[in-house]
Amino acid sequence: MKRTLSHPSPAPNGRTYWRSLGEYSRTPDFEEWLHREFPAGAAEWENDPLSRRNFLRLMGASLALAGLSLSGCRRPEAHLVPFTQSPEWVIPGKKMSFATAQPRRRGAVPLLATTFDGRPIKMEGNPLHPLSLGASDNFSQASILDLYDPARRQHPTRSGKKISSSDWDAEIARIRYESASTAGSSLAILSDELLSPTRDRLRAELLKQFPQATWATYEPLAPEKDLEASSLVFGDNTEFRPNLSAASTILSLDCDFLGSDEGDISDTRGFAAGRRTRKPGDSTNRLYVAEPRFSLTGTMADHRLRLRSGSMGPFLLELARQIRTAKPSADLNTLLSQSPDLALPEGVDPAWIRECAADLVAHGKQSLILVGRRLPVSLQALVLALNAALGAVGSTLIVQPRRSIPSSNINQLAGKIRSGAIRTLIILGGDPVYNAPADLNWPALQSSVPNTIHLAHLPNATSKQSTWSIPGTHYLESWGDALASDGSYLSIQPMIQPLWDGQSQLDLLSKLLGQPKPIGPRLIRDTFAQRTNLSGEKFDLAWNDFVREGFLSSPTSTLPPRAPNLSSVAGLLSKIENSAPEDICSLEFNFIQSGAVDDGRYANNGWMQEWPDPMTKLTWDNAILMSQDTAKSLGLKNEIIKGILVADVVQATLAGRSVEAPALIVPGHANFSVSLPLGYGQEELGSVAKGSGFNAYSLRTSLADYQGAGLQLKKLGKTRELAVTQEHQVMEGRDLVREATVSEFQKDPAWVKTVGMDAHIPKNQSFYPNPKLDGQHQWAMVVDLSTCTGCNACVTACTAENNIPIVGKDQVMKGREMHWIRVDRYFTGEPDAPESVSQPIACMQCENAPCETVCPVNATVHNEEGLNVMAYNRCIGTRYCANNCPYKVRRFNFFDYNQRALDKLYWGPLAPKGTEETIKLQKNPNVTVRMRGVMEKCTFCVQRIEDAKITARVRARDSADLKIPKGTLKTACQQACPAEAIVFGDLLDESSEVTQQRALPQNYSLLEYLNVRPRLTYLGRIRNPNPAMPGAKTSYNTPHGHGESHAETTHTNQESSSHKSEGTHK
Amino acid sequence: MANIFPRFSNWLPIKILVCLTIIAVSVVSGMSYYFTPKYTRVGYQPTQPAAFDHSLHVNQLGMDCRYCHTGVEKSSHSNVPGTQTCMNCHTQIKSQSSKLSAVRDSWKTGNPVPWVRIHKAPDYVYFNHAVHVNRGVSCVACHGHVNHMEVVYHAKPHSMGWCLECHRAPENHLRPLDQVTNLDWEPPTGTTQREIGEKFVKEWNVKPPVSCSGCHR
Repeated sequence: MKRTLSHPSPAPNGRTYWRSLGEYSRTPDFEEWLHREFPAGAAEWENDPLSRRNFLRLMGASLALAGLSLSGCRRPEAHLVPFTQSPEWVIPGKKMSFATAQPRRRGAVPLLATTFDGRPIKMEGNPLHPLSLGASDNFSQASILDLYDPARRQHPTRSGKKISSSDWDAEIARIRYESASTAGSSLAILSDELLSPTRDRLRAELLKQFPQATWATYEPLAPEKDLEASSLVFGDNTEFRPNLSAASTILSLDCDFLGSDEGDISDTRGFAAGRRTRKPGDSTNRLYVAEPRFSLTGTMADHRLRLRSGSMGPFLLELARQIRTAKPSADLNTLLSQSPDLALPEGVDPAWIRECAADLVAHGKQSLILVGRRLPVSLQALVLALNAALGAVGSTLIVQPRRSIPSSNINQLAGKIRSGAIRTLIILGGDPVYNAPADLNWPALQSSVPNTIHLAHLPNATSKQSTWSIPGTHYLESWGDALASDGSYLSIQPMIQPLWDGQSQLDLLSKLLGQPKPIGPRLIRDTFAQRTNLSGEKFDLAWNDFVREGFLSSPTSTLPPRAPNLSSVAGLLSKIENSAPEDICSLEFNFIQSGAVDDGRYANNGWMQEWPDPMTKLTWDNAILMSQDTAKSLGLKNEIIKGILVADVVQATLAGRSVEAPALIVPGHANFSVSLPLGYGQEELGSVAKGSGFNAYSLRTSLADYQGAGLQLKKLGKTRELAVTQEHQVMEGRDLVREATVSEFQKDPAWVKTVGMDAHIPKNQSFYPNPKLDGQHQWAMVVDLSTCTGCNACVTACTAENNIPIVGKDQVMKGREMHWIRVDRYFTGEPDAPESVSQPIACMQCENAPCETVCPVNATVHNEEGLNVMAYNRCIGTRYCANNCPYKVRRFNFFDYNQRALDKLYWGPLAPKGTEETIKLQKNPNVTVRMRGVMEKCTFCVQRIEDAKITARVRARDSADLKIPKGTLKTACQQACPAEAIVFGDLLDESSEVTQQRALPQNYSLLEYLNVRPRLTYLGRIRNPNPAMPGAKTSYNTPHGHGESHAETTHTNQESSSHKSEGTHK
Repeated sequence: MANIFPRFSNWLPIKILVCLTIIAVSVVSGMSYYFTPKYTRVGYQPTQPAAFDHSLHVNQLGMDCRYCHTGVEKSSHSNVPGTQTCMNCHTQIKSQSSKLSAVRDSWKTGNPVPWVRIHKAPDYVYFNHAVHVNRGVSCVACHGHVNHMEVVYHAKPHSMGWCLECHRAPENHLRPLDQVTNLDWEPPTGTTQREIGEKFVKEWNVKPPVSCSGCHR
């Protein structure tokens, strides 16, 4: 019987999943783009005057010339250069791991640095620390590349000229002399936020020596409004953090705790733990989200309401009233007695708030309301009071002592500078010239100070404007300490000697204090002694533990639950207003953190520039994000021309300041509101940052700092091409993501098998013989779509582990990005208020791999352990395998991305060849650095597999016990994943997590009807909507009737019957 | 009668002959170069900065390989000893020998001795010493009888086919673990290498990888 295999028509389950607005509306441009195997131009040299024919002619000639001299045949003489004196513990060729931590403004991340022959190459989470348990995030993964950034300055300079250390000593002596004579009133220090107890100690000493000195702190993205709210509600010197693992009902108000801005690794882990649903009857948490922009947290929401941040006030007051109705209390009565009576914003269903409030109240202390730290203090204080009323404080909301020391802010410092009192300004880290509030006119202000000193890891705009520019050390180069978000004390130990002539902030401060240069960890040891009150041998033991484990293992300090101070909150409530007019000429704006470059500090980090934003999938740029309706009212368009997204450029004007920026239309954004990601448009930082994005800081002022209204957008008639990866490697709507509600799952745990073609596929046969799978292990991976937040940490981890090159904006626009794992983000529903699902896609390691049968040179073959392996040195670059891959996971090196400058790729041999020496140091020595013309793809981290097998064999010696101990082998993506959504292991081991998860009824494979038998499978996503909510979906699937014939040709099931089921909530 | 063949065709047979000869010569010389051990560097014997004599140290003095190559059992890379290792003895013995001047200079200046590399796997090959020596593969299997070499040379071809010969039939090379660094070991009389090897393959569950991923990552 002849069988015609056609893909099923999209969405037999009655739901349409789409990845972009172009796909949603099926524009002809999009169709054309989609039906190309590769993006237009992916196989062309269109920017090049050299045609293919000429190229071949040239190559023929050069080949002939090469043949004349046989110079290429001899291997060069190489040398083995051993140590003169071997350092202790070092075994050449063996990796070592050391505990350290990355300081962050909200709390350091406990990490483990992997070093090879003395050079750190990869960061992992510290498995011992409860906040990480081995997981990490994008910035900690990418920070390793910053260490080796070729743009780093090598010497201290004064007015651009290299200076000697004696010049620097003389300058410090001069500052000390000057400050001593003025008691410090002429000295000001502007620092970033490190949460370092040692720096705080030195700061206190400095202020003791020079009592009149000014110490100001500026972090562009660390609003202290949450601290203010906390001190109002819980008393002075307190702060709060969520404990999501205890929460079963969560309401998040513009708080992207699953993205990187508001939360940390433990928040994602805690949320995923409550989300994980393995069998019917498991409890599943529920998430309500109200936010202006579709955030990662929004994608995980069971109910999402798009709401301008200016409308949060009326929303919250209504919520408070509804909570009072559901759970009457005297406290809430007093609290709400003074609140203004504001009308709910249009489009907000009061039933939404009512049912949400009822659900929160029903779960008492297991419920949690989170509020964005960018929102006004009054709202944050009200939310804290509501949490207290729900009983959440002490359970899902933890109050702890404040970690940061209050200091003056940049506005107060600006006032002092204006008064002319400051003669010397020392800037520790940060880049105020670039990111200070625009109304301060900081560049002019800074120039008015006679003597400015800037210490920073990368030379930026501020360094350029400072008299003295001192290269700072990276956190992997110097001793330090920091507090984590739970207040635990972390050690930062150096992995490598400073690459250049840099110094740390602690070095500079101790010099300023007139102390001798600190040798080793002396300063940290002093702080540690003070904190632990230990001495002698006990101190040494505790110190060694501290450095080895990376943190001080003592119970973290939480404050006992305390009654909230409601009277202070009540006074604030009168200030709440609906500050969001629906006016197209005065739009609401939200300054948001960029998931890729943070506040701009990672703008010269190639990995982060090429990192597709989880929601917009935009790389190498930022854009003003807005909804379809807002764009339509402004007459703005996003078009796909030749496969490239072309966005209209607008002039954004806010209070007289303006900037030009492309406008990107995103689904799910609130109307009359736009979001402006910060951190881009840095021309001074380095070659990577140059030319990417626009500088949203130029609109931002002290008052209009995070959100507000009054932004005007004017269409300019210009366009900008954006490198958006969302349409690359599209698989069309073939039931790739499968979702069900909790009640559907309870009714039929194997619901995934009733979706799409799966119920209809006949027993399949393979034309080719199946590979022999007789290895001692059979590797497989399972991804749980219920817990995957789509944060992209796996992408960054994979990039770091597998030496994946960056290709630059032009190449990304041609669809040539090299990421081995990508996170597909699907929308479903109406473009205005869609839902979203993320699905990580890596090589499926098909047992019947279609790529293998078409390779003419056997460069990709199967191994006995079920891996589809890739021998780079055999690959001749036909790209047949990529054409035959149904999952589009193969990546081709169109150029020598490792050897050539990204802006000179088309220059061919005319461009200089070679990698920066420092970048070479980062490469993982156990993974081949691929060259031009080679196909590559995910290998399930075969280098880690082989390493684990070798370790087991070395341990076994003359025994037959080759077992790999549990937990010792993890792929890079799995190890990084804070949600623990990825599991990997051996199918022959009955007890392994992966075997158990593959046996679950909700396990399915993509495109099962192709019979390629993937080793990477997925657990269908389970949502937990509240059936009482307005517009709640009760059913995600329209199951197939089994009465009809199992058609072997195109499947056209139009059956309309559907399960009507009620969601239940545990 | 007009000429059927134009004038230039007179030279054609000679031209063809010359071409064929050139092709044949290049094919033969190419084959004889690339397909022989010469290409795989067998016999490569560079001059080292210090004339270290393996036969003297191992055979006459009875030093174990691992005294100097300390990482071989633990790491993928078998390290060349640091200057310190040499100086452990040579501060006392032959402390003024001219042959050791490079080592003494290194000790004095702190600059390492630039030993010339003899065995080098290509960058895309990930060979691991530890797993071989811990599972009964002797040094001699790949490096030859270094203990008899006054000046070390490349003894075996180290081509992929040569690696696979052993990976497909490990029984031909396995020996008791305590004899791995005894390069002169022979199977006890009455037994053959094959018998001993087959016993170990079974008892130790030896299954060397023969797929690409075993060595190429």
